[in-house]
Order: sequence, then structure tokens, then C-alpha cells
Amino acid sequence: MKRAIPVLVLSVAGLIPVWRYAPSHDGGASSTVTEAAAPASTPSASSSGGTTSTVVSGSAIDTEKGPVQVEVTFDGQRIASVRMLRQPNHPQTTAAVPKLIEETLRAQSADIDTVSGATITSDGYKESLQAAIDAKG
Amino acid sequence: MRRVEHVMGFPVSVRIDDEDFPEAPVDGLFAWLRAVDARFSPFRPDSEVSRLDRGEVREPGPELREVLGLCEEYRVTTGGAFDVRLPGRRLDPCAVVKGWSVQKGAELLAAAGARRFCLNAGGDVVAAGGPWRVGVRHPEHADRLCTVLDLTDRAVATSARYERGDHIIDGRTGRPATGLLSLTVVAPTLTEADTVATAAFAMGAEGVEWAAERAGCEVFAVDAGRRVLRSAGFPVYR
Repeated sequence: MKRAIPVLVLSVAGLIPVWRYAPSHDGGASSTVTEAAAPASTPSASSSGGTTSTVVSGSAIDTEKGPVQVEVTFDGQRIASVRMLRQPNHPQTTAAVPKLIEETLRAQSADIDTVSGATITSDGYKESLQAAIDAKG
Repeated sequence: MRRVEHVMGFPVSVRIDDEDFPEAPVDGLFAWLRAVDARFSPFRPDSEVSRLDRGEVREPGPELREVLGLCEEYRVTTGGAFDVRLPGRRLDPCAVVKGWSVQKGAELLAAAGARRFCLNAGGDVVAAGGPWRVGVRHPEHADRLCTVLDLTDRAVATSARYERGDHIIDGRTGRPATGLLSLTVVAPTLTEADTVATAAFAMGAEGVEWAAERAGCEVFAVDAGRRVLRSAGFPVYR
């Protein structure tokens, strides 16, 4: 993760000129990051657009692991795919970096159909929420 | 229709909302799960898994080969954190067998015409049709939930230490995985949800991101500091 962050940041930095090229900024920064990162692991997803698709190459950015350059395919105003034109030969750069949301842990009650939890044993079942749901019918 | 039976050491609850759904396919589901237990349990000396482990079976059958293939795939992608062949221990593919067999059981029900049903195997859930409201048990309070999912045609599995203690071993260290209190994975199938949840839990804190990176997987994790980390697409019920 520590190594992934600078790579992600630089990948995004490489996207900025491309981004300015795009007529619309609708998605906002974070969703662009997500979309930019995701197709890096599936380069085959590119160039499926119709007549309105445009392919733009970002400028190469030097990182401590080597140069990074991306190519973005727009389907109209939407980013259809992002391809790494150049990337350091390092496993972290080939993985997509997902966006995780941080929250505080809450304890709640709710009307539910079933319960997911760590594998409950048959002995522990009697005391479980699922047993109460099954008994209620 | 509802039914609960105890198979493989845990309760399996079935709820089928299709009207007048026959009993026979549900009997078939439980018969399948019992057959899986007899063949793949490492706790039964005469199971195919135990005999393979002792070298009495040279070639595993096609189904065990499929299971062991999945185990190997996850061992490689987790850098060895998920490993069903830990040194000094017997071959134990339970983490894959459970999700895989319950998923196949759900497919038996679907093949028999069930469209809206919910299959809960000891806390791992296949939600067919929907929407279903699936609560996730709070890691510290057995009678409370830490989130509620809105699930249609997907599966969810949770790995944690609160039920059976430190049973998930990080294969890289040989020690129990303690980086997380609880980790829940939503995936298209229970085969994937259950295995990804166990494998990510074995990896500890870094497993959250690893699981979230997988196509089709959504994650909700509670780390050792009681912090929740969830993927943006995790289907929280609103």
C-alpha cells in the first residue's frame, strides 16, 4: 500500500492533462481516480467505443520506480478506459487501487431476513439471531 | 417454506418464497451437503480428503480437483497467507469446500425452479432473487448488527474470530490472523465470497484492500482498532 500510493498519485498526475482535455468534469476527482485505476488490471477493456470515442495519451511522469504514462479512451465525455502505456516493472503498479470508505463502527438493530456472520457452530446456533429469525418463521 | 438442518457442524437455514415449492429439491440440497461432508471433511478419517492426505488416493476425483485448484489459486494470489496445506497440519480445504458446496446447493434449488430464496449456511448466505435484507453480525455484540445489506442475486460471507476463536492461520507466519475483527465480502457467488473472506482475513489489514480489488467483490471490514473500512460499492441497505 505504501508503495501503491505514490504510484496512484503519479498515475493521476499523469491524467491531469488528459482530464483538462475532457469537456466535462462531472464525475469529480475521486470517481475519476477509481475509474482510472480500475482498468489498469484489465487492459483488454479498451477501445470498445462507437463513433464518438477519442483516445488521448497523457505525458510521461518519472517516478522512483520508472516512467509512468497512461492512455485514456473517452466514449463521448465519459472515460471508457484507461490503459498504461508505460509502467515500471513492479507488481504494485499492475493492481487496481480501490477506494475504501472509513466509518465508525456502530451497533444497530433492524428488521432483517437473515444474518451473515462468522461460521456459527450448531451449539452456538440456539443463541443466535438467525435462530430467532428461523423460529419466527 | 422454511427448513433448518445441521450439516458439516453448522446450521443450514433455507427459506424459499416461491409458492408451493416442493420438498424434494430441499431434501436433495441437504443430501448433497451431507455427501460433501462425507467426502471432503478432514475430520473424517475415511473421507477422500483424509485418504488423499495420507497418500492412499493417488488422483483426487474431479470435484476434489476443482476444490484443490481453487485452494491453490488463492494460495498464490494471497502470497501464501491462505494455505490449506500448513506445515505440521492435515490438509484442510474446509474454507473453500463450504462456500463451493453451498453455492452448488443453491444452484440445485434454482435448477428445480426456485426463484426467490435465501440459503444461510452457518452465517454464509446465498440470496437468490430479492431484494433481501441481510444483517451483518456485530463483531463484539452477538445480538446486534454492524451493517445491513440490500442483496439481490448475490452472496455474502463473513470471516471473524468471535465464534470459533483464532482458527484462521496466516500461512506466511503460521500464526493466527489477528489484524481484523471481522471481514464481510459480497460477491456474485458464495464460492468466491467465502474464499475471498477467509483469504483476506488471513492476510490481516492488507486483506481489506486485496479483497476490494477483486472484480465483483465488495468489502466491509472492522479492523483491530474498531475502524470500519468498506468499499464504495458495498450494498448498504438504506
